[in-house]
Amino acid sequence: MKKVLAILLALCMVFALAACGETGGESEEPASSDGGSASSGGDTIKIGMIGPKTGQNAAYGSSMEEGLTMTIDQINEAGGILGLQVELISMDDRGDPNEAQNAFNSLISQGVSLIIGSATSGATSALTSLANEEGVVLISPSATADSITTEDDYVFRACFKDTLQGSIAAAYVESLGITRVGTIACSADTYSQGLVDAFTVACDERGIEVVAEESTATMNAQDFTNQFTAMASADVDLVYAIYYYDAVGPFLVTQARAAGYDGIIMGADGYDGSLDYVSEGVDYSAFNDVVYTNHYDASDTSPVVQEYVTSYQELYGTTPLCFAALASDCMMMLQMAIETAGSTDAASVRDALADTSVTYEGVTGTFNLDETGTPVKGAAVIEFVYDESVGGLDGLGTQLVTTISSDEIA
Amino acid sequence: MKKAVKRGYIVNTVVLAAVYALCVVLAAALEGNDNFKLTIVPSIWQCCYLIILAASLNLVLGFMGQLSLGHCGFMAIGAYTAALMSLAFQRAGVYDEKSGAVFILIMIACAICAGLLAAVFGVLLGIPALRLKGDYLAIITMGFGLIIVNVINNLPFAGQNGLAEGTAAASLYATGLGFGSTAKVTYLWFAIAVTILCVALMFMYIRSKYGRAVRAIRDDEIAASASGINTGYYKVLTFAFSAFFAGIAGAVYACCNSSLSTSSFSFTNGSILNSTFVVVMVVLGGMGSLTGSVVSAVIMFFLNYQIGNGSWVHSLPGFIQSIFAYPMLVYALVLIVIIMFRPKGIFGTYEFSLLRTPGELVRLLKRHGGGKKAAGGKEAAAQ
Repeated sequence: MKKVLAILLALCMVFALAACGETGGESEEPASSDGGSASSGGDTIKIGMIGPKTGQNAAYGSSMEEGLTMTIDQINEAGGILGLQVELISMDDRGDPNEAQNAFNSLISQGVSLIIGSATSGATSALTSLANEEGVVLISPSATADSITTEDDYVFRACFKDTLQGSIAAAYVESLGITRVGTIACSADTYSQGLVDAFTVACDERGIEVVAEESTATMNAQDFTNQFTAMASADVDLVYAIYYYDAVGPFLVTQARAAGYDGIIMGADGYDGSLDYVSEGVDYSAFNDVVYTNHYDASDTSPVVQEYVTSYQELYGTTPLCFAALASDCMMMLQMAIETAGSTDAASVRDALADTSVTYEGVTGTFNLDETGTPVKGAAVIEFVYDESVGGLDGLGTQLVTTISSDEIA
Repeated sequence: MKKAVKRGYIVNTVVLAAVYALCVVLAAALEGNDNFKLTIVPSIWQCCYLIILAASLNLVLGFMGQLSLGHCGFMAIGAYTAALMSLAFQRAGVYDEKSGAVFILIMIACAICAGLLAAVFGVLLGIPALRLKGDYLAIITMGFGLIIVNVINNLPFAGQNGLAEGTAAASLYATGLGFGSTAKVTYLWFAIAVTILCVALMFMYIRSKYGRAVRAIRDDEIAASASGINTGYYKVLTFAFSAFFAGIAGAVYACCNSSLSTSSFSFTNGSILNSTFVVVMVVLGGMGSLTGSVVSAVIMFFLNYQIGNGSWVHSLPGFIQSIFAYPMLVYALVLIVIIMFRPKGIFGTYEFSLLRTPGELVRLLKRHGGGKKAAGGKEAAAQ
């Protein structure tokens, strides 16, 4: 009897959790119902998505899915691509290379030959050679590691690469007139170490001195006190610290201020979404003087961005993270390539994407792809601001500082 | 008794050879089939390394009764050893392309070296760690699992920059042990043969005098050492033996993936390949039953794979689908149910045996009693 009771309780717990998850799940409904009606009408273009929808970087995958769902609905309402409706099949890779491969194989066996994904460089690099072998177009929205697109013909991306982002950061530091900086990275992580290396090289070229280098063992570190104490005693004016939102929001910034460091903290696109992870009751003014480079700025006044942000907010009630915008740009690139190629055949779509003269106008900027398949584009520098008159968590927001185009770096 | 053992060896060898031959023939027959290439073969590869991994942990956890939480660390050592060795051979010009007898020999050499290096680390870790018991041993081995991932990450020639991306990953895929879909079909026989061989070796170890000594240590360490068993020696030996096979599992893993990154072996890995989950597999299959580990590795893999990729998931009612969106919940539920109704795990200490099990099943059906099975299993395992 007790066992039955225990099982019932376990079931209750699962269903309760599932019900909590349903709000997220509901957003998928419009896409799948659209997909259903479209497929009853005949042929559809199947677009696969691979992203971390659960696990450590779940926010990235769910943003991708939301952005893609919205863009595909808009495309379908406007009559689809080449007169065909678009159907999204989204898979979860949990941020793991092996799961990403399983998802990839499963998509191909469902007849998908155009795939958007994955969000992180680690999971994406497991797919690149497979995409080439199978002859499947793979566009990653946010895998920034330099070498993702260099080896394989069928791999493209919608974001800038790490070396570019590092040089943009250095250009911004120079424009502030700062000459003493420090860096904190996770030495074991390609993204973190790669960015810091690029930043250090770019700083050397610009005559900025990197006087302190600290590191942590893992990306999901929870204690940055020692690192920032070292920064405070090295008397630097800016610290380039590269971590993801789940470390920045709850730990990094507040601990830096508590350790006595009160200069500028600079980050990269991984900081996007940090404010959703700030714990309530901390000193919110700690978040002043925190800047980061990002793919786009949601408060940008350009009509493309505003139109995107407004319709996203209407649909989901939140401001789109850069991952949503980048995924939508991937879809836009695919749409243009399919229309140019005049077919959905992977080889001809690939040829259309490989054309470096095509200019894409997306939410995250106007760009061309270089010969490896990586966009050449600038970045937005964004800062966190705390409005004391509003107070509390609501007082925290982001604000565009400046935009730096790729021309300024070269 | 001797005769029965001999008969058992002959029957098992014949059946395993038949299974192996069947797999190879099937692979040859289905080579052109897309579904076979994209779904079934990768699944078999993943099952293979999970089986070796779970069975090897069972030696330490089930048969020796020591909790080790760092098993994926040995696997990581094996995977990187095999991958780096294959690249080194290729650079040295021993082979050019992924075919031919030379490549097969190198594949075997890589796997063995991967196992040996992991075993060396097993001895190095085992000598100090196995003086401890229970929680303390668990913490040390867990620390080892964390440290080894960080060490590999920071090695200039391995690490995340080393084999995960770009030219290195591409050369691993093009010339090294990283197999794409087609190569996986071609070398399916390798994965199956290695798995059968490893599990057979572990069986022989457990049935030997070493195995009896190890089980005596589990049951009562003081009594065992009073009877003249050198407990320290046997513990380290078993630990190293187990690490050896974890290393080979790593080599199979390296073959199975076209790139290699340490995030696959870390504790935060969201997939089923992390040290805690391997412990779960062993407990689920039954501590002290190698066949149980094999079965539970396959079950856990299919559960994990089907939740993520099965097309039948889409035909389920909405609320079940939204549970499946969180795979960890499903594992938790399966674990709760199994541990509630069968605290010993699926097999307990029972070993599936081709000679005994059919007869026992018939008797069991005649009796209609589920409770007797476990008792029968114990006797069988004691033999």
